[in-house]
Amino acid sequence: MTTSAAASPPGIVQLRSGVSYWAASFGVMLRFEFGRARESAALTVIVQTFMGAGMALTYGFFYPHVTPTVALYVTTGTPTLALIPLGFVMVPGVIGEQKIEGTFDYIWSLPVPRSAQAASTFLLYTLLALPGTLLALLVATWRYGVHLEISPLVVPAVLLCAVTAVTVGFAMALAIANPLTTNLVTNAVIFVVLLFSPIVYPISHLPGWLSETHRILPFYNMAVAMRAGLTRGLVTHAATSFLVLAAWAVAACLSTAWVIGRRR
Amino acid sequence: MSSVVDAGPPTEVRRGAAHWAGGYGAMLRWHLASLRLWLAFLVGIQILSGVGFVLGIALFFKPIPVSVALFVSTGVPVVNLLTIGLMLGPQLVASQKIDGSYDYLRCLPVSRSANALAWYTVTLVGGVPAMVVSLAVAQARYHLPLHLSAMIVPAVLLTCFTGTMVGYAVAHALSKATATRLVTQLLTFAVFSFAPVLYPVRQLPRWLGTLNWWLPFRQMAVAVRASLTSGPNPGLVTAYIALAIWATACAAVSALVLGRRE
Repeated sequence: MTTSAAASPPGIVQLRSGVSYWAASFGVMLRFEFGRARESAALTVIVQTFMGAGMALTYGFFYPHVTPTVALYVTTGTPTLALIPLGFVMVPGVIGEQKIEGTFDYIWSLPVPRSAQAASTFLLYTLLALPGTLLALLVATWRYGVHLEISPLVVPAVLLCAVTAVTVGFAMALAIANPLTTNLVTNAVIFVVLLFSPIVYPISHLPGWLSETHRILPFYNMAVAMRAGLTRGLVTHAATSFLVLAAWAVAACLSTAWVIGRRR
Repeated sequence: MSSVVDAGPPTEVRRGAAHWAGGYGAMLRWHLASLRLWLAFLVGIQILSGVGFVLGIALFFKPIPVSVALFVSTGVPVVNLLTIGLMLGPQLVASQKIDGSYDYLRCLPVSRSANALAWYTVTLVGGVPAMVVSLAVAQARYHLPLHLSAMIVPAVLLTCFTGTMVGYAVAHALSKATATRLVTQLLTFAVFSFAPVLYPVRQLPRWLGTLNWWLPFRQMAVAVRASLTSGPNPGLVTAYIALAIWATACAAVSALVLGRRE
């Protein structure tokens, strides 16, 4: 076996595939990604906490009287508010920067499967999302004095929401070639999310067509999944939201696979 | 004697009203040309965000109380007037510092005040259309008891001027581009979230309300709101005085920084 490998003519390289090769590549890329993120990780968590907690406080200022219902909705919407900027703004922003400075092409040229690269990015940002989300929730709970009834459902809810936000943000950044367009889309997303999404208020406040749209988009469903894990009795159709989020995550992964599977 | 003078560089003293006006016109053209289509794009974005805010806030309530709609609708014009001067201007200057055009602009033979006023004119031109559209949409949507008075002119002029001067001071006094970006983002957050611009001051914790009394944003909202609504306006004179002080102080800081030799 070794002789045949040694005897193979120059220029023919060993085929790099298989599960163990993928796992090794994933490990290497994970180290690479974590090494790159080392400098900015703390700042990411701080910014995300401030965004989430800051928005939770701000929404409270807009209400002349913060009723217990309003307080409950705002508090349980906060983790979603903290996750969305990370997935839909920071991830596309980082990819856009990589595209501009050329790192993006460099990473693609590395001899590791691109799926391992994408998976390591997903894992990194999902992990990075967790502390800020938790801190923002703690700040909101303290501010509004809301008593949460946390169930084990919160674990899959947080993970699924984080994965959905990161994968959809990543897929968007990859599918749109021009970083400026991505920038424009992310800003539009933030605006729509902060004002027109039923995250900190009930979906019944929306006109019919808008509520129908939000049942398909991920933002409202993220809020429902989170709320299902943090409260009892407030959410009725949590399973639907979990399914919609899973569908978004799968679609984002497929879109990512399609983009990274093409040669340039 | 005359030959010695001819050999040197031109030393004609450049001052006087005509020189100032020439500098103002040139810098106004400069700013407009450097923004070009961006200005139209910015006005469009501002109109969309202003209208979006006016309409979006109704979704937080069912139904929205008139007082809330009135506060948001009369606060959005302040945000419109601040967007270019306070939030975008410093970032433009920061990118000029990075690409080197900042030093070039500084060595142009134009008076500092002419340049500053030309930029102020641009921010005003960029802010007023969005303000008008936001107010019109608010009126159509909520049928607000708006009462437009002549005080709208000084209120808008002073609000925009103070915002632009605060942005100008941030842009020129901070030497690092990253520091400028950070301060600008903090200011943006402060205006939208923690200043009683879009909601009454009584909805803030007391200490935050007191802190805002010393900052210009609350005073801008008082001045603009007083010109758009009827009824008593306590603190209006204080607001104008505070804004004038802020504008003067920030203009002075900018003038000092820009007048310093490297």
